[in-house]
Amino acid sequence: MDREHGQHEPDPDRSGPAASEPDAPGDGGAGGWVAPGSTPSGALPEPHTGQWSPPASEPGPGTAPRAPQGRPPHPGHHVPPDGGDRAQGQPSTEGQPRSWWGEDSGGAHAPVVGFGEESAHQLSPRSMVVGPINQLRSLLLPVLAGLVVGGFNPWLLTATGLGVVALLIGGLVTWKTFRYEVGEERIEIRKGLIRRSRRTIPLERVRGVDVTSTLLHRMLGVAVVRIEAAAGSVGDTEDGKLDAVSAEEAERLRRVLLHRKAVLTERGTPQGQGVREERDTGEGEDVRDGGGPGGSGTSGPEGRDGAGSPLPAGAVPTAAQDTDGADDTVTHFTMPGSWYLYGALSIGYLLTPFVVLATLFGMVQQSAGEMATDFFVDWVTTADRAFLVLFGTVSVAVLVLLMPVFAVVSYALTHWGFSLRDRDGSLVAERGLFTRRSVTLEKRRIRGYELLDNPLERTRGAVGLRAIVTGLGDAATRAVLLPVGPRSRVEPVVDRALALFRGPLTRHPRAALYRRLIRSVLPFAGVAAAAAVLDVTWLAVVAGILALLGVPLGVDRYRSLGHGYDGERVSVRSGSLSRSQATVERSAVIGWTWTQTLFQRRSSLADLQVTVGAGKGGYTAMDASLDESVDFAARITPEMVRPFLATDEDGRDRDGDRA
Amino acid sequence: MNTPPHDAIPPSGESPEPPGSAGVARLRPPLRRVSGRAIGVWTLRLLFGAVFNLVVLSLIAWAAGSAPWGWIPDRVSENAWMLPVAYSVYALAKIAIVPSWRYRVHRWEVGDDVIYTRVGWISRAWQLVPVNRLQTVDHTQGWLERIFDVATLKVQTASYAGSSTIEGLDSEEARRLSEELAVRAGTLRDDAT
Repeated sequence: MDREHGQHEPDPDRSGPAASEPDAPGDGGAGGWVAPGSTPSGALPEPHTGQWSPPASEPGPGTAPRAPQGRPPHPGHHVPPDGGDRAQGQPSTEGQPRSWWGEDSGGAHAPVVGFGEESAHQLSPRSMVVGPINQLRSLLLPVLAGLVVGGFNPWLLTATGLGVVALLIGGLVTWKTFRYEVGEERIEIRKGLIRRSRRTIPLERVRGVDVTSTLLHRMLGVAVVRIEAAAGSVGDTEDGKLDAVSAEEAERLRRVLLHRKAVLTERGTPQGQGVREERDTGEGEDVRDGGGPGGSGTSGPEGRDGAGSPLPAGAVPTAAQDTDGADDTVTHFTMPGSWYLYGALSIGYLLTPFVVLATLFGMVQQSAGEMATDFFVDWVTTADRAFLVLFGTVSVAVLVLLMPVFAVVSYALTHWGFSLRDRDGSLVAERGLFTRRSVTLEKRRIRGYELLDNPLERTRGAVGLRAIVTGLGDAATRAVLLPVGPRSRVEPVVDRALALFRGPLTRHPRAALYRRLIRSVLPFAGVAAAAAVLDVTWLAVVAGILALLGVPLGVDRYRSLGHGYDGERVSVRSGSLSRSQATVERSAVIGWTWTQTLFQRRSSLADLQVTVGAGKGGYTAMDASLDESVDFAARITPEMVRPFLATDEDGRDRDGDRA
Repeated sequence: MNTPPHDAIPPSGESPEPPGSAGVARLRPPLRRVSGRAIGVWTLRLLFGAVFNLVVLSLIAWAAGSAPWGWIPDRVSENAWMLPVAYSVYALAKIAIVPSWRYRVHRWEVGDDVIYTRVGWISRAWQLVPVNRLQTVDHTQGWLERIFDVATLKVQTASYAGSSTIEGLDSEEARRLSEELAVRAGTLRDDAT
């Protein structure tokens, strides 16, 4: 990251508010050149005085159109292979990439600049393209359908064209007006043309930095950075989103933010020599490649740890994450090849072929409309019956046979090269083939973990792992720490990365079984009975079958119920089709709630919810015995529960006063 | 008026041992009741809701009975009037029973470090919220509550599930309590997650 500063340093005109323009193509790597900290808006109109202006100078407004033109070749050639090149943005050409590399070493000395003062950065100019394309993509089908239906009439075409232009201009405006600044203690994001907004996030409150890049992003060498901040109020998950900075800049930001944060919170990690052992899977490498040079920037602009280790030049092109001397990267996990097969056990992924089919069908119908339907109907009605039956059976059989294959493939796409690392007091989980997403979770914010499995996975003893983290939005995807894998392998990782819950779970009373059974059977039985009365045979049969299936389901749900405490961690488990066992540290328990419905009261059961300021906010031990669960809570947090325990005599009159 | 803990359990058994390792313990009810005027608020609130629903249902029934829509079976349109009637019976029963029942269930207590509440009527919930985990304390008063001079106190923690609401407190008491809690939360506060 110093690199960046270093790089700009020498530039005499770096002060020019203007640099924006020319930078467009090239700066990507730079993560934005340094704008004068002060002027977000000032930068707007200037033509490039900028440093490495590419020869071709465009007028300000020209940029937007031009950028797109520049692009196409881009996606074309490279995807992963030439990381460096791509990262720099191809048009840049003149020596820019070189300057990077050259600067790299030089950069280490120059960090001082960034130290005290802040410098504003812009998004990567390539974001001007990415944003509109992403917006377009969601509109593509409706627009296309509109065009087809409208018979490509010129008005529609014009309107569409205008729309596209508007989007591009929007992209330009966003880029022009967007500034972010990383200071000593806070990061500030300013944006907006008409309604300007400025968001300041104190660095101590940064909870994590996510870097995501879709295929499109990666083709352009950019990434989206989301800065998770501890929001003041509950449910306010607003955070800083930098939609498309260059990959290097993303990596740099992540390091700087987390590092400074660590310093601020006085948790600076000891200057461990990085372990950086692991060879990444090819994939990981490649992705990071884009980030490679960036990562090599090692020290924050403040150069605090820069001194620690001058980075070996050799390290640069390889995985970014390893090059930093200041951190202590420990790899807890890299995905073994066989683990991709577990995708076939995931119900969601098993259904992919159908989802894909449905989507395809929808697309065909939308675009080709009635023609396709007519054709299909025609074909069905004219074809030979026996052939149709055969065809139907075969295609269904093929689909079913293909289900696991599709599941594994799509699972592999999202979990490709999964790795879990421990760095700078954070856990970094990275995965994905096309969309590479890297989530950084600060360990201090991790309150526990969840082990998840479904019945299919249970047959193979497989289990997935998710972290319970404070202030993390979209936890379902972002808190994933490990892909589904054999429990025997997952648990040691949990133990190393966090700490494993060791202890038995208390079973819930028998009455809970009846409640589970009633829940899973009764509704369907009711429907079946009603259908039988109304003489709707098929419904009665279907509901009857479902009711029968409800029996094992209910039993299994009951069997998975449990809660336990091992002296340091509290664990509750429930669910069958998707079972989850949540384990949180004792200190993370910030309250208890018992709820008891009328029916539960009759069998003196209650749901005990462990309140946790993380993850889902609460984890429930369903249908526990009320009395036992109160004792349970009192054992875990005596200071919280004991003052309210009934002594024997008033325990009795509780009922009286309940009236 | 401030509701004294008229039916309070004497705090004599201040530090009750949890009934041993038998693995069984009971929560005693919180000491304090909410203001008696809360019954009025709840009653009126239910009443307004019921009136609104009744109007809607009556309109539907009227429309079903008189409008010439062919797709409604005769049996339905002829008996449409039963809908609002049945609803009024239900609503009246609810209005008569629920508020006072609720009043009996709703209780609260602010211990040394913990806010303990019990709410509900048919179903109940007991909640413990440690004061040092409080993030916000909201004191709100709707127009209806203002008429009856009661207030709602809402304490929020870092977890949405850990938010607790005490309805129907005497407004003076609520204000005092919210200030006190805010101060205590400030002094006790750690990271609050």
